[in-house]
Amino acid sequence: MIGVLGATGAVGRTAAGRLAALGAGGLRLGGRDAARAAEVAETLPAPAEVVRVDLTDPDELARFCAGCRIVVNCAGPTYRVLDTVARAAFAAGADYVDIGGELAAKDALSGGAVPRERTAVFSAGVMPGLSGLLPRLLAKGRPPRRLDVYVGGAAVFTPLSAVDALLTRGPRFGVPMAAWREGAVTPLAPLHGVRLPGFPEPVHAWPYLTTEAQTLAAECGADEVRSYNVFVSDRIPHALSAAWAAVPDVHAAPIETLRPYAAEVVRASVLDNAGFGAFYVMLFTARPHRGAPAGPTRVLLTAVDSYALSGVVMALTARTVLAGRVPPGAHLAAEVLDPDATVTALRDDPLVTQLSVD
Amino acid sequence: MTDAPQNANLVEELASIWAELLDLAPGDVPADVSFLRLGGDSVLTVRMSALVRRRLNVVLALSDVRVEITLNQLADLVGRRASGEPMARTLPLQVARRPDPHAEFPLLPLQQGYFVGQQDGWELSYDSAHYYLDYALSGVDGDEAADALSDAIERLAVHQPTLRARVTPEGRQRVLAGGAPRLKVYDLRGSTAEEAADALAEVRQEMSTRGPDPTGGPGLDVRLTLLPGGEGRLHLGFSLLTFDGWSSGVLSRDLLTYAADWNAVLPPLEVHFGDYVTALEELPKTEAWQADRDWWFSRLDDLPLPPALPLVADPKDVRPVTMGNREHRWTAERWAALRQECARREVTPSTAMLTAFAIVLARWSGHRRMLLNSLQLNRLPLHPDLHRVVGAFASTMLLPVELAPGATFAELAATAQRTSGEHAAHNLITGVEVGRELARRRGTWRPVGPVVFQSVLGVDAAMGGRPPEEAGPLGRIIASDYFHQLRTPQVALEVRCFEIGDEAVAVFSLVDELFEEAAVTAAFTEFVALVDSLADGSGWDLAPQLPHAADLPAGEGGLRLDRLPEAPSGQYSGPLADDVEQTVAEVFEELLEIPVLDRGADFFALGGDSLLAVRAVVRLAKEIGAAVPVREFLSDPTVAGVAHAVRSRTDGSR
Repeated sequence: MIGVLGATGAVGRTAAGRLAALGAGGLRLGGRDAARAAEVAETLPAPAEVVRVDLTDPDELARFCAGCRIVVNCAGPTYRVLDTVARAAFAAGADYVDIGGELAAKDALSGGAVPRERTAVFSAGVMPGLSGLLPRLLAKGRPPRRLDVYVGGAAVFTPLSAVDALLTRGPRFGVPMAAWREGAVTPLAPLHGVRLPGFPEPVHAWPYLTTEAQTLAAECGADEVRSYNVFVSDRIPHALSAAWAAVPDVHAAPIETLRPYAAEVVRASVLDNAGFGAFYVMLFTARPHRGAPAGPTRVLLTAVDSYALSGVVMALTARTVLAGRVPPGAHLAAEVLDPDATVTALRDDPLVTQLSVD
Repeated sequence: MTDAPQNANLVEELASIWAELLDLAPGDVPADVSFLRLGGDSVLTVRMSALVRRRLNVVLALSDVRVEITLNQLADLVGRRASGEPMARTLPLQVARRPDPHAEFPLLPLQQGYFVGQQDGWELSYDSAHYYLDYALSGVDGDEAADALSDAIERLAVHQPTLRARVTPEGRQRVLAGGAPRLKVYDLRGSTAEEAADALAEVRQEMSTRGPDPTGGPGLDVRLTLLPGGEGRLHLGFSLLTFDGWSSGVLSRDLLTYAADWNAVLPPLEVHFGDYVTALEELPKTEAWQADRDWWFSRLDDLPLPPALPLVADPKDVRPVTMGNREHRWTAERWAALRQECARREVTPSTAMLTAFAIVLARWSGHRRMLLNSLQLNRLPLHPDLHRVVGAFASTMLLPVELAPGATFAELAATAQRTSGEHAAHNLITGVEVGRELARRRGTWRPVGPVVFQSVLGVDAAMGGRPPEEAGPLGRIIASDYFHQLRTPQVALEVRCFEIGDEAVAVFSLVDELFEEAAVTAAFTEFVALVDSLADGSGWDLAPQLPHAADLPAGEGGLRLDRLPEAPSGQYSGPLADDVEQTVAEVFEELLEIPVLDRGADFFALGGDSLLAVRAVVRLAKEIGAAVPVREFLSDPTVAGVAHAVRSRTDGSR
């Protein structure tokens, strides 16, 4: 049995669909609204159980996990969930895949919290996830002088993903307006109205040196890493800044406090989307050292929708874990998935409009 | 609103300003007649704004003060501004002395164009962009003249520091403590007439083809020829990089004033060119500038192309040394008659010339709608001394002209005046900057405004009357006995209208190599005849014969101006292909401060301009040791294109 939590959400629906199509076993869909989960189940090519579950209720969570081989958690806010669901999955003898979590969740499981033989993979979505995995294609066997990451576009935020965006603040997530240079965090200015390959419009790019990008820099030996969140206007960055100015410690604030700010972020994303239509681009470029052996220097992925794309990545990660290709322990997806195999799988997916490695 | 007595005082105050500018008695300024009708023009309106700002401490927007304004209207406007009514276009800029008069400052947009032209960056460019002029002197004191003139130059270099200006290789400028121009004297007093004529021809040839270059010396070249019989000639070479047309007038006046009298003192100047440029650095941050930019940019896609003049050669294939001239002079009576006819119809003589030029171009090119480029001597009215300061203040303005079929000349001129006034009211952004964006949108690397209209009719009045006619040991100035030569880059054809004493002159300056000689002669003859018919009054109510087509019909044969094949572009795309492309991309990135990630990325589309292109060339030479000619850089300014140019230079040497 494969348990999909958050199955009624934008990510979960796609993840459930892809996993059903794999035929890797029975499917159990969990959500706070059982009726909506049932609607999702009806769209799937194979029959699926529907279970009402509230992640904050330990008993409901335990019931959901019971009998699962793996629990695939697409629910959020991922930065509040942390290791709660992973522990419930382990208690039921299941492996675990999470769309978010990052280092915070991984660290929460340190010190023997992961049973022997059990596997947990966090940050198995688009960003973090693909954003840390795909650039590794450019660094194989030749550490680059510089690695650039540009990810974003125009997509309507869901209220929950807006809360997640508000929570991506603090040293455990990343450093705004910064780049990685020669092992140090150094300032980097935002870009306004720039044309970037693969992006259909001039865009605004805000540097955000994620912990993922810092790990990437260290692991692939890049002298410099520049990582940007890309927007079609300044509305979303401004909405985020306004929220952070009003609520200095977002992690201590109750979700209720964040909701009105999240609504502003959603509104900004709706306006962006109205002006430009939906698109999502992931662009990675590498500058090799002079005289380095030939190899690819650009990965470009375009999709219509980042949520659905995250669902695809979640399903791919679950499949990899099920196939026994991820060792036991807690990991981040970018560090354990095979970049080449992932590219091959994504290229075949109808939700990916373009994926090139040149 | 102001009450009546205050308003009366205001009208009186303004009348005295008008009187001063128009050379009238204050009591003779009627309150309900337009400034234009009284002899004013757009140049004088700029000075009027400066005086109002200085004397009444009221800042007027440039778009507020049109030549058609009456004294009553102006008083009303000033009253409203003084009472704090918000204004559409305030310029919160102050020109003040810079703390360090020798500090570097940037080039203005048109200077940048000339600078790049001097690097052979454009098609139709020359080693120097300059203006050469010589005129006759009589009654010269041969023993004193040279010393008097040398001394005058030295004093002038103190009064006008721009005589000591230099342009750096990186395309910036600064004023040196020394380095004033040095006089060169040809003493031919003992020569035969034939020898003197040969020598004169030689000097003209040299000064016409080699202008002063402010990257290596002063931008002014002064020479004096002493001839038998107390005659002489004063030769002046002006680099357009340091002096505009207005400045050449001011310089030559100042110079003669100093030369005439060892003790002459000119009214001090509170500010200089560098102070003005420094103040202007803040201009693009103002709302007024941004509003003008938006005004222009929203019109770009509808602008017509330049006149499709038939050519005998592609401009990129010719290497002109000097420009050819066709010149006509209207006598004092004829010119006075023309001015009177113009005033009667409420158009400026400049507008009449512009309209006549456009008609001739329409017939020559076969279409009625065209984009012209006009040279503007606009100094923003930020300080009342600016009209007496020399420097390369000039800018350009793109000017669309559409001649309505069946309209009389008077109607066409009225339309032209309205259009040109409307566009000039948005002149905070220069034509150079607008043209850059236009070229970017049109995807062309050729000049977007190669046909130029320039009029300095009325400038003498704006400078404060006629230039001096006596200059002490230099004798008497015979301004009507002159020779001149202009070399200005990116121009195929330019008409210049100016006054000499009581007479008016129009010159077609053109790149001879481009045009069929007979066609040029015919066009110029037609232009002169048309202006003559305006002076005698007969031409105003006639509808000129115009071609049927608004724009040149597609497929209209032959080589034509601005309908020329473009260099292939957009042929590259993809990641940077090799180390050379990486280096080129990184030079682009450093100068443009944005990521350059594609080999098809175009330097200009990314926001670069020609000055930055020159800097990129300098930087590349340093990084790779390959000197790519600027022209080659500009002909394919993509990463791959520039890398290709680099490789073609480094491959052979390896």
